[in-house]
Amino acid sequence: MIRRNAFTLALLLLLLAGQFHTASADGETQTPIKHFVVMMQENHTFDNYFGTYAGADGFPEGTRMPVDLKVPSAGYVEPWHLGNTTITDLSHSASTLVEQVNGGEMNGFVSALNRRNQNGRVAMGYYDDRDIPYYWNVADNFVLFDRFFSSAKDGSFSNHMYWVAGIPPNGGRGEEMATYLAGVPTIFDRLEESGISWKFYVQNYDPTITYRDLGDVGNRASQVVWVPLLNFDRFLDDPELSSHIVDLDEYFQDLRDGNLPEVAYIIPSGASEHPPQYPATGMRFVKNLIQELTRSEYWDSAAFMLLYDDWGGWYDHVLPPEVDEYGYGPRVPALLVSAYARDGFIDSTELDFTSVLKFIEYNWNIEPLAERDTNANNFLTAFDFEQGPRQAVFLPLTRGEQTTLKKAPTNVIYSAYGFALLLSVLAIGFAFFSRKAKVGEERVA
Amino acid sequence: MLKVRHSTALPNLMTLSLPKLSEIALSRAILTIALLVGVFLRVWQLNAMGYNTDEAVYAGQAAAIAGVPVLKDIFPVFRAHPMLFQFALSVVYKVFFSDLLGRLLAVSFGLGTIYVTYQLGKTLYGRLPGALAGLFLALMPYHVVVSRQVLLDGPMVFFATVTVYMLARFGKTHKIAWLLAASAGLGLTFLSKETGIILMGSIYAFLALAPEVRVRIRDLVAATVLMVLVIAPFPITLMAAGGSSTGRNYLVWQLFRRPNHDWPFYLQTVPPAIGVLVIAAALLGLVLLWKERSWREKLLVAWVVVPVTFFQIWPVKGFQYLLPIAPVLAVLAGRLLGKGAQAENEISIPGLGKRLSIHPTFSWLATGMIVLSIGLGSWQRIQPETSSLFLAGTGGVPGGREAGTWVLENVPESARFMTIGPSMANIIQFYGQRRAYGLSISPNPLHRNPSYEPIVNPDLQIRQSNIQYLVWDSFSAARSSFFSDKLLGYVNKYHGRAVHTESITTQDEQGNAVLQPVIIIYEVYP
Repeated sequence: MIRRNAFTLALLLLLLAGQFHTASADGETQTPIKHFVVMMQENHTFDNYFGTYAGADGFPEGTRMPVDLKVPSAGYVEPWHLGNTTITDLSHSASTLVEQVNGGEMNGFVSALNRRNQNGRVAMGYYDDRDIPYYWNVADNFVLFDRFFSSAKDGSFSNHMYWVAGIPPNGGRGEEMATYLAGVPTIFDRLEESGISWKFYVQNYDPTITYRDLGDVGNRASQVVWVPLLNFDRFLDDPELSSHIVDLDEYFQDLRDGNLPEVAYIIPSGASEHPPQYPATGMRFVKNLIQELTRSEYWDSAAFMLLYDDWGGWYDHVLPPEVDEYGYGPRVPALLVSAYARDGFIDSTELDFTSVLKFIEYNWNIEPLAERDTNANNFLTAFDFEQGPRQAVFLPLTRGEQTTLKKAPTNVIYSAYGFALLLSVLAIGFAFFSRKAKVGEERVA
Repeated sequence: MLKVRHSTALPNLMTLSLPKLSEIALSRAILTIALLVGVFLRVWQLNAMGYNTDEAVYAGQAAAIAGVPVLKDIFPVFRAHPMLFQFALSVVYKVFFSDLLGRLLAVSFGLGTIYVTYQLGKTLYGRLPGALAGLFLALMPYHVVVSRQVLLDGPMVFFATVTVYMLARFGKTHKIAWLLAASAGLGLTFLSKETGIILMGSIYAFLALAPEVRVRIRDLVAATVLMVLVIAPFPITLMAAGGSSTGRNYLVWQLFRRPNHDWPFYLQTVPPAIGVLVIAAALLGLVLLWKERSWREKLLVAWVVVPVTFFQIWPVKGFQYLLPIAPVLAVLAGRLLGKGAQAENEISIPGLGKRLSIHPTFSWLATGMIVLSIGLGSWQRIQPETSSLFLAGTGGVPGGREAGTWVLENVPESARFMTIGPSMANIIQFYGQRRAYGLSISPNPLHRNPSYEPIVNPDLQIRQSNIQYLVWDSFSAARSSFFSDKLLGYVNKYHGRAVHTESITTQDEQGNAVLQPVIIIYEVYP
């Protein structure tokens, strides 16, 4: 009897497992999202981009930052509009962040930079819809996340590592790092194993710049930081794996040719928003990426997520939750565009870069990589799969009413033309029904 | 043939002297036929083809007044023209939005004009000439073609014909009520289309040339005041919209724009559209019935001569601009043939000093020939277009609606289009509900219609992805090979990919049916 029950239970479990295991190598997904594109921009906080966005968790009332934590009389800096102010690359090392967070007080953003001979006042600057109108339009029409944290209390590389592998780097460099990473699975290994197509699109990709050869490449060395796979020997040496790391031109070509992979990672290069670059260039770049996806055959089955890798030294008022010794770092801007994304929705689910892994793992039924992505929240709340796919829309690069047309005074039109018509009908009617006019006609005729 | 004397040998097809009762019955029968045939010719395959550019603009304006979503943000309410027709159409659009409704409204104005033409002919010359005039207008290709379209000219001609009818009543009675009614009619004519004001010249010419129709100055002032009151909504609404400069800009543009057609344009296009036989009958009537001339002919001739002279001189020419003369010519033709159908009327030949009697049969035969010729002409003109060329004002644009509908269904909202010229841009905007800009629109305000927005730097706009689609069309390309080449240059430069093509079936030199692309939509990738 017990054996029979156990057998029945096992059979049921098998059936149930079969029931839920819908995503597999044949490309089945748990959601209507068949293509997920995620792009990592650079170095801004949520408050820096959306601190004044109505309805979001932006600057609290009365926000001000002491210029010097040890000298209260040195004054305070309130959030101020950056506009076209020249900006510098603010210090965003782990040690800077420690001082800026100041044991949870979140009041060292200016003083930490001042102590590093930078103009700390800049950290309190912010952009708004005058500067990044397209992003605000995206927020108005799709999903803005206001609880999306960078994964690490650190700069770019750590956060990019969480983005692809769900773990931090080990602190080593070069060969030492590569040796460590040899045993680290990435999401792309999982996708490869499952037969799920993927590509890592890199703007201005130069395959010769890897961890092995950083001799004289100057700023282009950032490619190795922003594409963590270029630190993995297997992604460099295995032709099959390395063929997935491609120039961004292929993204546009793939959209046109119907070859968009199921999972696509994108990083910028020249169009990075990493200070001292103004956001405008990057914003136009992102607009083009989204626009091409929007008009492609994939619109009804794709989602595009825009993230920022770290806080870049900018102020953000939310104390990052302590999930482990490495994170989280400060909040970063995050946007989601999809035919299934909610309309003008602010999603306050607590997320980080491993939430991206979580979504991919959930959608394609892939095993988690590490503890972080296992425990991360998914962002399914940002979607409404009950609704049919939304009509594709090109969002403009300008804010406000998208028309130069003057508002028509329709009431005046109806009144004035109605009056003219009535007056004419009365005049003509009077002539027809006026006895004198008719009598006159009879007489003359 | 004309000198055929009345002979008893001829069969008495029609009664030689139509008894009053049978004339009434015959006139009513002809009027009924005119209205029925008028309806048929105006609704047959009415919506087989989508709007042309002018129709798209006026319907777009009406949609903007009615607050139709999307279109109200694309089409400006205020352009150069007054908006009586658009106002009326907007009331329809408040209930239901459809391109067919716009054309049906235009048709109803056309049918109204047929009836008023009958009344005009009846007032001036009697029932039978009136009925024949109505029949000629009902069948006239010029009026048939224009009154099937959402154009301002159809309503304008309706009110112009009402005006001349009111004047005819005034001429008969000398009662100021009719003069005031005529001034109200002229006001509505202007509110339909500003070119209607030209007919004020016709009225003054008539009053000046017909001293038998006496008008007191104070009556004339009162009539003018009433007309100004009726016209007032145009400037009032313009000012309320803060756009008083629009009218000025448009006037400057009209004054300085280059001629769009050669001087023989009207001579080549209008007589065949009115019907050469109709014009011949009208002119012949003026000659043969010279002795019977009165203020009536002065009124009708002034109604023809003034607009013809003005638009011949005016650099901008449009196929439909001379339509107000059509009902009047129909009445003049009806006058001769109606009179000829009545045997008791004799006709004198000027200079010969002879009085001739034309047998009614001849009149009916001539009437039959006219009816047949203009009827066939109309029938041909309302068949779906099979040409890749297009004359503004002559009908719908092949493939335009289909291309626009494809855009509406397949292109992301807020996408922007570049077309060769504004004509296709208007059609894409109306049916596709996406913004479209004509490449040929000059950045120089003196050289463009003030309603249109130029693309100052098309290359930059494409490069920055502000314009994502380019549209080539054979109609605009035939008019401007320069801008056609320019647009195709951008297609090549920015990796254009044809995503939609509209074609029509034409015949090659060997007479084989071939598909010819008329509209091609390209996606461009900077």
